[in-house]
Amino acid sequence: MALLALILVPLLFAGYVALRPEREAKSIALWGTLGALGISAWTLFDFDWGQSGVFQYAESFSWVDAIGLRLSVGADSVSLMLIALTAFLGPVCVLCSRTAITHRQRTFYAWLLVLQAAMTGVFAARDLVLFYVCFEFTLIPMWVLINLYGSTNRKKAATKFFLYTFTGSLIALAGLVYVVWFKWSVSQQWTFDLYELQRTAARMSSAEQAWVLLALLAGFAVKVPLFPVHTWLPLAHTEAPTAGSVILAGVLLKLGTYGIFRFALPFCPLAIGEYAPLIAGLSIVGIVYAGLVCWVQTDVKKLVAYSSVAHLGFCVLGMVALNDTGITGSILYMINHGLSTGALFVLIGMIYERYHTRSMDELGGLAARMPVWSSFMVFFTMASVGLPGLNGFVSEFLCLLGAFQASHEWAGTPGGTPGRLGFVYAAVAGTGMIVAAIYLLYMVGRVVFGPLVEPHGHGNGSGHGHGNGAAHGNGDAAALPRDLNWREIGTLLPLAIACVGLGVYPSPVIQGLRGPVATTVAVTKEGAAYKPPARADAKPPEVSR
Amino acid sequence: MMHLLAQANPPAPMHAVTLGHYLFVSAAMFAIGLIGFVSRRNLIIMFLCTELMFQAAGIALIAFSRFHLNHTGETFVIFVLTVAAAEAAMALALVVLLFRRRESLSGEEWASMKG
Amino acid sequence: MLSGILNSLAALMPAAEAGGDLLHPPKGAMLMLAVPVLTLVGVLACTICAVARVRTKLPAWISVACLAGAFGCVLATFLGYEGPRHAVGFEWIHLQWGGETPRGGGQVPIRALHANFGLYVDTLTLLWMLFVTGLATLIALYASEYMAGDVRTAGYSRFFVAFNLFVFSMSCLVMADNLLLLYLGWEGVGLCSYLLIGYFYKKPSAVAAAKKAFIVNRIGDLGLALGIMLIFVKFGTVEYATLLADSKFQGFLAAATAGDFASIPWDIQLIPALLMIGAFGKSAQFPLYVWLPDAMEGPTPVSALIHAATMVTAGVFLIARTFWVFQVSEYALPIVAWIGAITALLAATIGMAQFDIKRIMAYSTVSQLGYMFAGLGVMTSVGAAFHVFTHAFFKALLFLACGAVMHGFAGQLDLRKLSGVQKMPGWRIVGVTMLVGCLNLAGFPLLAGFWSKDMILAQAFAEPGYSAVGWVLLLTAGLTAYYTFRVYFRVFVGPQHFEPGDEVHGHDDAHGHGDHGHAHAEPAHDGHGHGDHAGHAHGSGGGQHGFHPHPPGWAINLVLVVLAIGAFAIIPLNFIGEHAGHGGWAADMVHHSTAGPLPAGAGHAAEGHGGGHAEHGTFLGMDPHKVMYYVSGVVGIVGIGIAFVLHLAGRTEAARSRADGLLPALGPIPGWAQHKWYVDEFYDFLIRTPLWVAAHLFHLVDKLIVDGLVNLFGFIPRALGKAIRPSQSGVLHGYALAMAGGVAFLLLIVLMAAL
Repeated sequence: MALLALILVPLLFAGYVALRPEREAKSIALWGTLGALGISAWTLFDFDWGQSGVFQYAESFSWVDAIGLRLSVGADSVSLMLIALTAFLGPVCVLCSRTAITHRQRTFYAWLLVLQAAMTGVFAARDLVLFYVCFEFTLIPMWVLINLYGSTNRKKAATKFFLYTFTGSLIALAGLVYVVWFKWSVSQQWTFDLYELQRTAARMSSAEQAWVLLALLAGFAVKVPLFPVHTWLPLAHTEAPTAGSVILAGVLLKLGTYGIFRFALPFCPLAIGEYAPLIAGLSIVGIVYAGLVCWVQTDVKKLVAYSSVAHLGFCVLGMVALNDTGITGSILYMINHGLSTGALFVLIGMIYERYHTRSMDELGGLAARMPVWSSFMVFFTMASVGLPGLNGFVSEFLCLLGAFQASHEWAGTPGGTPGRLGFVYAAVAGTGMIVAAIYLLYMVGRVVFGPLVEPHGHGNGSGHGHGNGAAHGNGDAAALPRDLNWREIGTLLPLAIACVGLGVYPSPVIQGLRGPVATTVAVTKEGAAYKPPARADAKPPEVSR
Repeated sequence: MMHLLAQANPPAPMHAVTLGHYLFVSAAMFAIGLIGFVSRRNLIIMFLCTELMFQAAGIALIAFSRFHLNHTGETFVIFVLTVAAAEAAMALALVVLLFRRRESLSGEEWASMKG
Repeated sequence: MLSGILNSLAALMPAAEAGGDLLHPPKGAMLMLAVPVLTLVGVLACTICAVARVRTKLPAWISVACLAGAFGCVLATFLGYEGPRHAVGFEWIHLQWGGETPRGGGQVPIRALHANFGLYVDTLTLLWMLFVTGLATLIALYASEYMAGDVRTAGYSRFFVAFNLFVFSMSCLVMADNLLLLYLGWEGVGLCSYLLIGYFYKKPSAVAAAKKAFIVNRIGDLGLALGIMLIFVKFGTVEYATLLADSKFQGFLAAATAGDFASIPWDIQLIPALLMIGAFGKSAQFPLYVWLPDAMEGPTPVSALIHAATMVTAGVFLIARTFWVFQVSEYALPIVAWIGAITALLAATIGMAQFDIKRIMAYSTVSQLGYMFAGLGVMTSVGAAFHVFTHAFFKALLFLACGAVMHGFAGQLDLRKLSGVQKMPGWRIVGVTMLVGCLNLAGFPLLAGFWSKDMILAQAFAEPGYSAVGWVLLLTAGLTAYYTFRVYFRVFVGPQHFEPGDEVHGHDDAHGHGDHGHAHAEPAHDGHGHGDHAGHAHGSGGGQHGFHPHPPGWAINLVLVVLAIGAFAIIPLNFIGEHAGHGGWAADMVHHSTAGPLPAGAGHAAEGHGGGHAEHGTFLGMDPHKVMYYVSGVVGIVGIGIAFVLHLAGRTEAARSRADGLLPALGPIPGWAQHKWYVDEFYDFLIRTPLWVAAHLFHLVDKLIVDGLVNLFGFIPRALGKAIRPSQSGVLHGYALAMAGGVAFLLLIVLMAAL
């Protein structure tokens, strides 16, 4: 019931928000998200961690019996943690929108809650169609949030976001349908159950798997976003309202990596083994390329948005290492990136509310003006840089180590695993650590440190008069104090505590991920063992079942 | 289809009226209506032409109905007539409205659906 | 002895598995764990002070108390030391895989990445921790006065938060029982270094220096991280105890000892090369040393503690800790030796041409670190560690003395604008302690710095094949003595004269700190009420412009005296224990740790003392261990003598010295040296600019090509629509005709088919 409750509670509250007067919207939304957070926290305690690879809280209702379609939900530890991340970011989003969203609040909070329900549904779904419906449905609330509440260029950004990711996921749908059809052709039985499909999908020939993988990646890689298909992200992030950016970076991008983990790896283990170097190569290009692009941005939000591209590159790199270290690191990365980058977006939103600009040319040395904000900024930047002791490090290190380990070169060593990545991949990806330090410290050096620079009219504590575009009312924002108030500190503090907690004591999380990760690794074992044919006339090893 | 068309050859004189006769009349009416619709500019005339085509189709339906000895076609024609009556009322009302706007009944005056 | 260490390591391994229980800690574990915990308490307490807006010296006293407590714990551990010990705080990262695979995949051996928050304390750790915590306590005390100008701002608490965090990170680095925790400390000290260099965050140069330090260090960190990964892949562990006792590793060591490097795989030999990069970054060695001189933008206590005494020795510690790993590679230690020698010489030459006394000290730190690396490279880990130990004392002393000058003279650090400071009222202690530090650094006979430097020099000549390194180091020793006393003779003795700096540092929060050399726009305010106009006394003559240098107070003086006494007190340590005269106590400490000699102590693993050398280098045909005392002593004294002649005896007026007259004779070389051999510019040209260009290029590519393609795909349907748009004329007849034509066309097809 817990999972259903996690989906239904936000939905019900969304309905309630829509019914109640405008001024009550934010508090109702807050209670709704807090309720979901409470349930989610309870599931974390209640979950049987000894059986972390088993789908728990399973529920199944008949839907379209003729083709075996069922409404079935269930969560293993990966799903559970991502649902917890979603629930955790819910109140953060509501809190950080309190003064930023001043018009059409009901619409905003209702869609925010609907979005949360949809994302939870994606992670909870055990039925392919339910997954896909939720996956696609997340686009609509997000489109509304960007289109109605974004900055100046919001319409274009919303449309691009929608069309780009939608096109990608339609291709992914083709791949998923093929897998279902394959299952039918084998067993003459229609089913959309994930587990059932996983068992047969791996029997596809490696050529079929390659096509399915290509289709799935078209959807998931756009969502991640992987290197050449990332351009919707900076635009969407820059234009989205703060809460939208938090959700986008925190959870929506993870739908892509989650999709790769849940579908691409078990459905096409051979193909992913064969193409792992290619995908890893793209992620590494993304890491370095996006990192360098970050460096020349002047818009702080765009910089952080591009940094997401670089960060998620590590995530995918760990995933395609196809070993326990890499996949564990990758899943941890999803959570950690959600926390630290989400917090960075919240921080940037706070600046935007005060100064109505995000340009580094107009902002500088804010440490003198806003010490509390600056402390948080430095903190979360360091989490993002991957400083050991904070959350980012553990996942980044594990992803890199996973890539490092995955090489046939290390055959016979105690720490090596089969794969085709190895030292060079890890070393080149590792330069991303340096690049990350360059661009993030560049940002901190300009915005937080250095001589104080403020936009005109903001120098002496007055002059908050002008809204920027219809989305930014000037009502409450003018009343904001110079430095953070308690509400804002309260928004950031849980994130900071989570960052420290996951950095200092990640062990339980790592242990908790062991079940699903081990299952995935076992499924993809043959893919990881793939070796390219030594000579042109040698045939790739055919796996017969 | 081929068979029916084969029957639609010009009927021999002094024979009983066959299906072909009906169909010929129907086709002729339809053609007149179509040509009228395309060539005339007056909205009312154009509308009357569509009515002509309607009735042409109706004649064909009833002829088939009689020929095949079931009432499906006739039933259908009743419906068509009803719809045509309703449509006539609305269309004429529209034409009146359009006339009030432009003081003209020419169909070429109205091209606001241009792409 | 080695078997003893191995046995203790082996004994530790089950303890590592059984331990980790905070309720039943092994003996002494609490004492060891108390060190990081106490520093962390300091961090938290100072954070609370910052949040509670405490505007007194409370954070300083909290820090001093916590650090003194930590020092006490280290001391107690040291006094009760019985053998290497292991204490597990909690499980940090434990990633296990293998075993029975799900879905009937069969049995796979169980592997794990296991990194505890665990401490491993042996004598090497203790050696380091003793001076780290000891100096940290003293320097915190010093900083309580030095930073007093910021008491009324949040900066004071912020400073001590970072200060305590630094000691915490350093203790993690040094006491870690595994490489991953060492890495935590490694990056942690980097962060604190970043925060403290950028303490005066309003100054762009300080922010840039902080950024540079962090980024350059990150380059090294990447090497270290890759090295750790490689170790894990090859040996399946990141814990020292398990690694060093690993049978495969022992096999490689045996092969290396026998000189059979061909049998050791290349990737094993790559490990030390990767670790080395990390060490070079953190310890400011040749390709990566550029950040350290810039790091002097930070407050002087920070420079003394982090950038002279402790953090920069982390690289030495890393190599010492993994000394055996370095010996499985044929080229690792020679590279270390040469890099060390090159750095020592390069930094010394730059130091000779600088005018900012703090920067001179920074270059001398780089140079001395080069000595330590050279020492490690020529296989005297003892000499290196001993030099680290003595250097920590006298370099901290030198920095703190320079800091006192800077503090008193409004940020003035230019040695051309200060003279005869020692004779000014209240400056005697600073002058005398400075002299002690300078003599140590110059390697004046019988002082601590002399003994430790001598060990490295002697071993460089004794180790076959390294005599070139020895000569470079000997030359550097002379240069060191020269530039050290160039500072002393110019600033502390001679005719009295000064020009105050352009800022009253630390007393004006809106303003920031000493701005070494380049002028600041605002006029100085005298925050101490010594006068109403500090002025820019850039003319000549004395400081009769209303500015009174204020001599240091009790805290600064006390710390200086303690350190000076300490610099003497550590001399006898050289003459006690098993290795009296050859590092003495420090040698004992190192020998009983993982930095000790290798098994079967033949040829390659030879230490500078004891017999059994297969071959032995000589110094001009003499035994280096016997003659080097005299040689290096003479070199040091000659260096001092030259400095005396050029900078004291030959000074006609306060600001000029005979050395200036010599400069034209050297051509452009002094100018190059003064511009740091243009290394920064070279890096700028070679690395930063290409990256910057690439970044802009990528940005364009992203906008035009990557996103352009996407937009092109969006454009195609739109263009198509536009193309067929005119077909929709909107005229009723058009549509009717089209329809009629369509029907006719269909009819035609049907009829054609029928025919």
